[in-house]
Amino acid sequence: MKKKQITNKTILLTAIIGSLLVVGMVTAFSIWSSRQTIAATEEAVSTVSSFYLEAMADRRAKIVTNLINNEFSQMEKALSYIEDEGIESQEELRGTLGRIKELLSLNHFALVDEDDIVYTQYTTYTGRTRHAFLSEKQLDGPIVDTVSLYGSSKQLCLAIPAPDLFVMGKPFKACFVQIDIKDIVDLLAPDDQGATYFGIYSKNGGNLSGTELGPVISHHNLLDSIKGLLPEDVWKETCDRFAKGESGSVMFSSGKVKGMLCYDPVQGTDWELAVLIHESVILDQIRDISENNLTASRNQILCTLVTVLLLALVLLLELRAMARGRLEKEKETSRTFRHMAITDSLTGVRNKHAYSGNEAALNQLIQKKEIQKLAVVVCDINGLKCVNDTRGHAAGDQLIKDACALICESFAHGAVFRIGGDEFAVLLQGKGYDTMMDDIGALNRQIEANMKENAVVISIGWSVLEPEDQKLRDVFERADQMMYKRKKELKAMAESGGE
Amino acid sequence: MQVHSKGKNGIAAAMAAVLMLTAGIAVFAETESGESRTAAGKAESVRSAVDFDHELDSYVPEKDHYNFYFTYKTVHSWWDAVALGMEEAQRQFLDKGVTITYEYMAPDGASAEDQTRRLLSAQRRDYDVIGVDVADEGVISPVLDEMADSGTKVMTFSSSDAADGCKRIAYVGNTHNYQDGVDLTEALCKKLDYRGKVAILVGSEGAPCHEDRARGARDTIAGYDEMEIVASEYDMDSVDLAYDLTLEILKDHPDLDGIVCCNMSNPVGAARAITEKGSGAVIVGMDHDEEALRYLNDGVIYCLGVQDCYSIGFDTIQVAVKIADGNLPGALFPEKTDEITTVIYQKDAALMLELLYGEIL
Repeated sequence: MKKKQITNKTILLTAIIGSLLVVGMVTAFSIWSSRQTIAATEEAVSTVSSFYLEAMADRRAKIVTNLINNEFSQMEKALSYIEDEGIESQEELRGTLGRIKELLSLNHFALVDEDDIVYTQYTTYTGRTRHAFLSEKQLDGPIVDTVSLYGSSKQLCLAIPAPDLFVMGKPFKACFVQIDIKDIVDLLAPDDQGATYFGIYSKNGGNLSGTELGPVISHHNLLDSIKGLLPEDVWKETCDRFAKGESGSVMFSSGKVKGMLCYDPVQGTDWELAVLIHESVILDQIRDISENNLTASRNQILCTLVTVLLLALVLLLELRAMARGRLEKEKETSRTFRHMAITDSLTGVRNKHAYSGNEAALNQLIQKKEIQKLAVVVCDINGLKCVNDTRGHAAGDQLIKDACALICESFAHGAVFRIGGDEFAVLLQGKGYDTMMDDIGALNRQIEANMKENAVVISIGWSVLEPEDQKLRDVFERADQMMYKRKKELKAMAESGGE
Repeated sequence: MQVHSKGKNGIAAAMAAVLMLTAGIAVFAETESGESRTAAGKAESVRSAVDFDHELDSYVPEKDHYNFYFTYKTVHSWWDAVALGMEEAQRQFLDKGVTITYEYMAPDGASAEDQTRRLLSAQRRDYDVIGVDVADEGVISPVLDEMADSGTKVMTFSSSDAADGCKRIAYVGNTHNYQDGVDLTEALCKKLDYRGKVAILVGSEGAPCHEDRARGARDTIAGYDEMEIVASEYDMDSVDLAYDLTLEILKDHPDLDGIVCCNMSNPVGAARAITEKGSGAVIVGMDHDEEALRYLNDGVIYCLGVQDCYSIGFDTIQVAVKIADGNLPGALFPEKTDEITTVIYQKDAALMLELLYGEIL
């Protein structure tokens, strides 16, 4: 039995430890897997982001270049249009400039005569100090110039010579447009929820667009801002590239902030278009991916854990039920064995072994004088041997059962024991003791009646506990002697055929 | 009492007074009576030195098109800043359906004769209002009187008004040039501990604004026994000439202690020469030239009196429209619309460079 309990505990422990091991392994694998994913993603994103930024810078630079080329093309058309108009007065010229604005979408379009007088749709002014390109007596080709206006506005000035243009009888020098760089910035503004920053810079790193290139560089001079963030040689190379109008990219770090900066020259200008992305943005995206993976792993772990726990619980309950079943069965078996040990299998009353147990217990009470009312009735079946011999053992057994039934019925408040093949003992205490004489009398009358009907006949003798008795056996022997006397009486009665 | 372009002079003066009391700032913007305010050292006063945030007042023009003629002393970036204020007013009128066209012309060098020719030529054409930044008040004021007598609507603007009693209708610009000269020179004297040799670069001979500032400088220095004016030269509002003149002055007076520069060009020329020669002379000057602001930032120039050119331009157009409609000074606009001058120092230079030129240092 003990061996069986240890086995159950072992199974239970094994199940729990096994579950924990499974959970631990799944957790460890998930974490390892997540870390592997992050590392791989970081490497991939770092590589991809470089290409991404370079492409972004290149694309935006081309947008500006296309804008400039388009403006130049429109200005050529405007000059042709003005030549064909045959303008003779300033009013006509202003009207023509107004139509050009409408027709060719050229805002701030202006003509300049040989005296550097500037003509726009609404104003005519002396412009030598206002437009730097007019410092040249003659323009040899298209001019692309960056203009810083009083009031912090920066504009892109595009001018082309107009060598053959005569208006109002005067030779004209050039025409030009000025585009607010803020309008160009609006054109380039990406829709990436602020994930990237960009700016337009002069060759010395001056911020022309007024845009903020992230919190570290902000809106300051780009080259000055990154000076302390890069190794000296890398910074110098970046400055050289800026000065030469070349493209490039650098990684920089400022405290905990790391960023990647790509720059690309805007063809036809002395601008560099810079695009910046912070590593934190990339990492945030990676983190989002990783967190999604991690969440999935956690859910997986949780599901596994719950499943294992449920299985363990089911296992535990099953083991518990099994143990209880076994215990109950063992108890039942024990009861059965115990019952079998003290019960006579034929009659169902307690046997000689049970009587011995009771006798031992009663002997202690007798010796301690703790019991007064105790009687023993000894019963012996008459003619059992004859029935066995003549009518068979089955008839004999039936006789025993009938006799037992009669005894049990007669001593309803007594303890009936089959102490021999045809011998029964009845222990009477309490109410059984009090009604003993009536019960014996009734039984004897029934027996005597049975003798006439050839039914079961029992010889009974009885005795009560006497003060001098030391043990139950003393009482029993007196009853047994009386029983033998009765047996003789009944034999005599049977032989006489009457009473 | 100072007269402001927005007609809120009383409130503005009160606000300035509060600023002075609470922050201990020195604003200096002259009032009509010649009284000056001291300049603010903090960023707010630097930011308000030039007001780029203008809106037209509630006046409703009578016509839908006006044509003006403006002429000024000489082609110079100072007047380009005025032009930007004009263009903003023109744009705002256009938004209201009123077209403003104008000419804004000047000779390459300041010349009263050239200016007279331009004015008389413009008078023959059909302009609603003719505006002039007076090159020489002695020459131009009688011309303006004649034009006014013949029915031409004439106004003055920017930094130089005509002579007192001139019949021009109104003036928009700096009304306190003399006080600007006093204030700059006072700052210089204090810096020099009220002793030393000083030179004055005046600007254009006869130009009221330049002459008034120089006069203010001389009067101030005259008040200090241990200060001496060793040179006073006309640079004709030319950087190169100012540079050459400064070199000559330094040659004659190597122990020069300070230079008072009365226009926008000469602080730049003086600073170049001072830097080149390694002189320790302290420069005080006028206006907002980008190079001058850089010298200010570097400590080569001690202080600059920055005029609000943008407001001058904006208010000039606004007043011109009212004059064109036949209005006279009064409730709609004052006879003299004063625009402020703010003195800035080294600590203010970076912010001013950013505000005016978008240059982030």
